[in-house]
Amino acid sequence: MLLPRFQYHEAKDAHQAIRFLGEFGDQAKVLAGGTDLLVNMKLGHANPKQIIHIGRIPSLNNMEQTDEEWRIGSLMTAADMALQRDRLGAAGMIAQAASVLGTPLIRNRATIGGNVITARPAADMLPPLMALDAKLTLVGPAGERQVDLNNFVTGVGQTVLCPDELLTFISITKPDEGTGTAYIKLGTRKTLEISLVNVAVALSLKNDGTVSKARIVMGAVGPTPLRATRAENILVGERIISDNDSPICGAAIQAAQEASPIDDHRGSAKYRQHMVEVLTNRALAQAWSMAQGDKS
Amino acid sequence: MKQHIKLTINGKPEERLVEPNQTLLQMLREDLLLTGSKHGCGEGECGACTVIMDGQPVNSCLVLAAQTDGSVITTIEGVADDDGLHPVQDAFIETGAIQCGFCSPGMILTAVNLLEHNAQPDRNQIRQALSGNLCRCTGYHKIVDAVEMAASKINGEK
Repeated sequence: MLLPRFQYHEAKDAHQAIRFLGEFGDQAKVLAGGTDLLVNMKLGHANPKQIIHIGRIPSLNNMEQTDEEWRIGSLMTAADMALQRDRLGAAGMIAQAASVLGTPLIRNRATIGGNVITARPAADMLPPLMALDAKLTLVGPAGERQVDLNNFVTGVGQTVLCPDELLTFISITKPDEGTGTAYIKLGTRKTLEISLVNVAVALSLKNDGTVSKARIVMGAVGPTPLRATRAENILVGERIISDNDSPICGAAIQAAQEASPIDDHRGSAKYRQHMVEVLTNRALAQAWSMAQGDKS
Repeated sequence: MKQHIKLTINGKPEERLVEPNQTLLQMLREDLLLTGSKHGCGEGECGACTVIMDGQPVNSCLVLAAQTDGSVITTIEGVADDDGLHPVQDAFIETGAIQCGFCSPGMILTAVNLLEHNAQPDRNQIRQALSGNLCRCTGYHKIVDAVEMAASKINGEK
């Protein structure tokens, strides 16, 4: 499997990367971990004549935190993120998602930023980050802008990232006390797999046990990851008594209605729709359990 | 335009000019004649091309040679030393974890790296760590046995 020919440029910092992108326009693609771009180039799905290697840009490959938020560098690898579960606490599903991306070998190279900007329908990192209302820092020739991740992905592999912009950071506000999260990925095998369906949920409980905030994001059942907003509304204001009763069940049934899956070689639309309900149910139960634990 | 890289492979410094579109796997096999790393799928899905790069197992088919400037690489050829085979290699032979051998370099490297980070993994942890290395021959049981055996051997020798 051969790569086509291209010119290679090493960006020593974000600004140099952006200058290269501006200079080369749509001839250029950014290279970080290479686990997506190089595969696409080998398969003939991408043929950039200029490749800008951003893997050496300093201070983008780890996660910093303040009292209010975590700031994830776009070059942080999935492997490094997978180790952050304890540190992330209630937001641990981000690490959980990173830990099931690809394989251990892929995770040592694949970056969180790469998973975000490639914006595949079945991406592992998008639903958890969207469920936590992540904000992206995009840097371009005119400076920086912040974009809500929930407004970032516009279609299959399509985002609002401009051709001369670089994603530098992904920021998550630390969840309120009494929050639980869960990410569940269903594949036709246990690993080395692209999701058949995935679901990320975040539930926040008030002191009296009622739901103050709910987020349900489903992947691989639409051209982009989808927020199940009507399902979320079923939960808000409700007290959850047990994990196998409404409103969790009601929300899961509703979430399945908000999915728009297709038939493909991994599975049928009907099966995927059913699995949205199953996974949402399980994820809400897990998140609820965590949220209760978080309050004690 | 060729890229100038300086790196260390199996303890030996290398300095090379590489075409941008050459992968690390191609450079190892075609230029350095280190043919222990195998081309399986070329897409990062089989692990036959596994090498250790800066302390981590990676698919060398998805690393550009140009990206390895300043890196430390270990291939299967660098696992045994002057004293003989690595305990992982011995264990693979002893348990019968090698049939055609095509997956073995990748399996062994990933296993060696696992044991450097986790001295006594359980079978589930071994399976997880090896989940990016596919084998079409053995059914994996004996590979897991080998890694367990090697861990005991290494820990026994401490």
